[in-house]
Amino acid sequence: MDRAAESGLTLTHVNGMSGQFHYAEVIPPGAAFFDLDNDGDLDVYLVQGRPLDQPDPRPGQQPPQGRIFRNDLTVNADGTRSLRFTDVTAASGFDARGYGMGAATGDFNNDGCVDLYLTSLGPNSLLRNNCDGTFTDVSKASGTADPSWSVSASFLDYDRDGWLDLFVGNYLRWRAESSTPCFTPSGRRDYCSPNVYQPQPSRLYRNNRDGTFTDVTAAAGMALEFGPALGVSTADFNGDGWIDIYVANDGQANLLWMNQRNGTFKNMGLLSGTALSAHGKAKAGMGVDAGDVDNDGDEDLFVTNLTGEGNDLYVNDGAGLFEEQSARSGLGAASRGYTGFGTSWFDLDNDGWLDTLTVNGAVQTIEALRRTNDPFPLHQRKLLFRNLGDRRFEEVSSRGGLAFALSEVGRGAAFGDVDNDGDVDVLVANNNGSPRLLINEIGARNHWVGLRLVGQPAGRDMLGARVGIIRADGTALWRRARSDGSYASASDPRVLAGLGHATGTVRVRVVWPGGATEEWSAVPIDRYTTLTEGGGR
Amino acid sequence: MRRVAWALPVLASALLVGGGCTSQPDRTASDTTATEAVDTPLPPVALPDLSPMEAPVGQQMAERHQALVTMVAAAGTPAADLARAYGEVGRLLMAADYFDAAEPYLLHAQALAPNETRWPYYLGHAYMAQAAPAKAVTSFQRVLRLQPADLATLVWLGNLHLDQGEPQLAEPLFSRALTVQPRMVAALFGLGRAALARREFARAADQLEQVLAADPRASIAHYPLALAYRGLGDTAKAEAHLRQQGSVEVGPPDPLMVELRGLLRGAVAEEARGIRALDSRDFHAAVQSFRKAVDLAPENPSLHHKLGTALSLAGDTNAAVEQFQEAVRLSPSFAQAHYSLGVLLAGSNRYPEAIERLSTAVRHQPDYIEARLQLAEALRQVGQLERSLGQYRELLAIDPRVADARFGYAMTLVALERYPEALGAFREGARLYPDQPRFAEAGGRLEVALRGGR
Repeated sequence: MDRAAESGLTLTHVNGMSGQFHYAEVIPPGAAFFDLDNDGDLDVYLVQGRPLDQPDPRPGQQPPQGRIFRNDLTVNADGTRSLRFTDVTAASGFDARGYGMGAATGDFNNDGCVDLYLTSLGPNSLLRNNCDGTFTDVSKASGTADPSWSVSASFLDYDRDGWLDLFVGNYLRWRAESSTPCFTPSGRRDYCSPNVYQPQPSRLYRNNRDGTFTDVTAAAGMALEFGPALGVSTADFNGDGWIDIYVANDGQANLLWMNQRNGTFKNMGLLSGTALSAHGKAKAGMGVDAGDVDNDGDEDLFVTNLTGEGNDLYVNDGAGLFEEQSARSGLGAASRGYTGFGTSWFDLDNDGWLDTLTVNGAVQTIEALRRTNDPFPLHQRKLLFRNLGDRRFEEVSSRGGLAFALSEVGRGAAFGDVDNDGDVDVLVANNNGSPRLLINEIGARNHWVGLRLVGQPAGRDMLGARVGIIRADGTALWRRARSDGSYASASDPRVLAGLGHATGTVRVRVVWPGGATEEWSAVPIDRYTTLTEGGGR
Repeated sequence: MRRVAWALPVLASALLVGGGCTSQPDRTASDTTATEAVDTPLPPVALPDLSPMEAPVGQQMAERHQALVTMVAAAGTPAADLARAYGEVGRLLMAADYFDAAEPYLLHAQALAPNETRWPYYLGHAYMAQAAPAKAVTSFQRVLRLQPADLATLVWLGNLHLDQGEPQLAEPLFSRALTVQPRMVAALFGLGRAALARREFARAADQLEQVLAADPRASIAHYPLALAYRGLGDTAKAEAHLRQQGSVEVGPPDPLMVELRGLLRGAVAEEARGIRALDSRDFHAAVQSFRKAVDLAPENPSLHHKLGTALSLAGDTNAAVEQFQEAVRLSPSFAQAHYSLGVLLAGSNRYPEAIERLSTAVRHQPDYIEARLQLAEALRQVGQLERSLGQYRELLAIDPRVADARFGYAMTLVALERYPEALGAFREGARLYPDQPRFAEAGGRLEVALRGGR
C-alpha cells in the first residue's frame, strides 16, 4: 500500500524537461532511507532536479532542491503504526540545489551519525551530519566534490582500517549545450541511447581519517577500465573477507572489482561471468543488488536492464565465479518488456528466502503511450518476484496491491523497515512524479530477526558486515549490512532476516568488515537488537 | 473473395473513426464486424498518427495505406493481393519501429494468405520486439508448419526458447537447421549456448569451437566459450578466449529482415543505411545513402559531416572538405566538423590551419578526446611542445585509458629534453599497457642513450 502522500512525503520530482529530449532528464532520481537523528527510525532524503535549460533561477524564484524528511513514527497502544514525515530541510542547513541524481549514506567520520553523499549532474556533495539535526557541506574540504556526472555511489571499508571509503560510479560525458539530437527510424525526435556519449571514469576515494579523502583510483588499479556506471553494489564476492565492488554499466561490460587485499583491485568481470549476458552481449545495466538468493552462504547478483534485454541473475559458486541463470530462474523472460532501475534482494514475506522487486520506466518513448497523447510516455509497472526456493521465481506483482498496478517512470528505490514492524518497505523515486512509499503488509505475518551492527566507539553502522543467522536446524541464513545497491539510492543498513514459522531465539555469527568473527547466542526474534563489535564472543 | 468481403468493413470503420491518417484512439477487437472467415476476431487496422514522422516517411505510409484502401474498395481483388497490401503497410510500420501498430495489418495479411510464410515470420519479430515471447513462439511455429526447414525461423525460435530457459526445446530446432546447412554458424552457436545452459561444458566448448572455426569473425562466441572452458576447469583457455571476446553477433541469414531495413524513405532511414554501410566498410554505398539523406535534409549539419566522412574514406578529400565546411557553416560550434577539417589539414601538413580547427573543436567540446589528441600531435609537430604537453595532460585527465596520449606525452618530454620525466612516463606506459611494447622499447632506447651520454 502506498502511504507517501498521506505520511507527508510530498516532493514532486522535477526532471527539467523542456521538449529538447535532454538525455540527463531520464536518468534520476534516487532516494535514501537513513536514520539522520539516531532515533531508531528511518528518515528520508528525496533527490530533486531542476530545469536543464535555465541553470539560474529567475530573480525572486527559488530553484527546486532535494529535501530531507524526518520520520515521526509513533507506535500506537494496539501495536499499529502511524507514519508521519516532517520536512526538516530548512532547519537542517541542507542546500542541495544542483541537478540531483542519487544518494549514498555512511558515517565517514566515525562520529556515530550517518552522513550523506549526493551524486549529481555536476559536482557531488558530501554532507557531514553534525549530530544535531543539521548538516555541513564538506564536499570541497573532503576532496570528494567529483565534477563528473555521477549516479550511484557506495561507502565501503575496502582497506579494512575501520573508516569508510567511497566509491563513486560515474556515467557519461554529457552537457546540455552540446546535446546531440536523436531520432527514431521514422524521424521522430526521442531520447538518445547512451552509446552516443563517452563514459567517464569512476572514482575510488580512500578515507584519510581526518575528514578528507584521497582519490586513489589510479593507485588502486581502477583508472583504465571503466564504463558508463549506473549501479554499484559492494560485497565480499569471493569469500576472502575483503569487500569487492560490482559496477553495472549501461551498454558496456559490467565490472567486478575484486579486492586484492593490498589497496588495489582487479577487474574479474569477464572471468567471473558477470560482465555480459551468457550470450556474450553487454546489456544496459542499471540497478544492481547482491544477496544470498539461494541461501548457500554467498552473494549472488541481480542486475536490471533495458526493455528487450531482460534482467540478469548471476549465481555465485562461493569463490566469485558466477553462472547466469536469468532464463532458468524466470527473472529474465518476465522482465523483458521492462526497463528496470531500482531493485533489491529482500525478504518480502519473511519466509527466509530473498525475493526481489524492480522499479521500471523506459528511457525512450513508448510509442503506444505516445499515441494516447501521454505527456511523458515512459511509464511502466513495477515488478515483484517471489523466491520459490529452488533458484526459481514467480511473478507476484498482481498480488502486490494497487501500487503495482500503477504505471510510473520509476528510477530509484530504497528498501528498509520504515515503520519498524519487522518487514521491508520500499520507497520508490519516480522521475517527474511523486514518490511512493510501499508499506509491506505481509512480512510481519512471519517471524523475523532485526539486527543493527555497529562498531566501536561511536556506534557507526558497520557496512559490509556479514551476518549468519543460525536457525534451530543448524542451517544459516547469511545476510549483509549495507546501504548501497539498487539504483542511485541508499537503503536501511540494518539486517532484517525472515525466519518463517521459527520460534525461540537464534544464534548469530557476525563477520566484521575488519575480519574478526564474533557470535551471539540467544538473540531474541521479532525485534531489533543492536550488536556491537567486541560485544560477542 | 469471402475474405475480401469482411476486410472492407473492418478497414472502413477504422478509417471513419480515426479520420484517416491522423491521430486515432486505440480500437478494441470488438470493433471488428466480420469474423466468419477466421477463428478469432481480427483487430481493426488503423494507421497511427503520422504527424511526428519525417515527411517522406509519413507520406510513404499514407500512400501505402491509401493503396490498401483502394484495393479493399475494389471488387474482385484477389485475397493474395489484398494480403500483400496489408502486409506491406505492416512491414513499413515495423521498419519504423511501430510494432504494435504493425501487428493488426500483419494479422490481416496472415488471415488472407494463410499459406504465406512472410506474414507470420514478421509477426514473430514484431512480437519479439514487444517482449511477447509466447505470441512470437506461436507465429514462428506457424512458419515452420508451412516451411519446416526455414533456417532463420528455426534459429529465432530456438533463441526464443533459450531466452525462456528451455534449452531442451531449442536444441532440436538448431539441430534441424544444421541438417539443412551443416556449418550454419547461428545454429552451432545456439547449440553451444543450449549446452552451456544445461551445464554440459564439454559439449558447449565443442559446439562453440565449431562456431569460431566456421566464422572466426564471430567474436561474440568467445565469451560463452570461455565460460564453457571455465566450467571444465581450464582457466588458461578461458582467459585466452576472454582476451578475444568481442561484439560481432551471430545471426541467421535473414533476407526478410534485411529487406525491412531498406524500406523506409527519409533522411533518418538513409542515415541509418549510411552508417551500416560505413560499418561494413562499403564507403561508396555510404556516400550514396548520406547524399540522399543530405538531399532530404540539407540543413542538417550532422548529415553533411557524415557525408564528408564517407567521402573522405572513399578517397574524395576535396568533396569531403566541402561537406565539412558546409557543416561548420550550418553549425559554427559543431566540434566534430572542425575536428574532421583539422585532421584533413594535418594530413596534408597544413599544421597551423589544422591547429586552429582542432583548437576550435576542443573549445566547443572540451572533453573531445580525439580532437585533443590530434591537437597535441599537431602542436608537437610544429614544435609547440609545452602546449602539446598541456593537451596530452588534459586528455589523460579526461580519459586515462588513451595509450597514444601517454606515448605522445612521453615523446614530447623527450623533445623537451626532460629525460628523467620521459623515462618515468615510458615506464608508466609499459606498466599500464603490457601488451604495447613501444613503451618499453622507447624507454629502453632512451635509457641507452642517457647512459651513453647522448
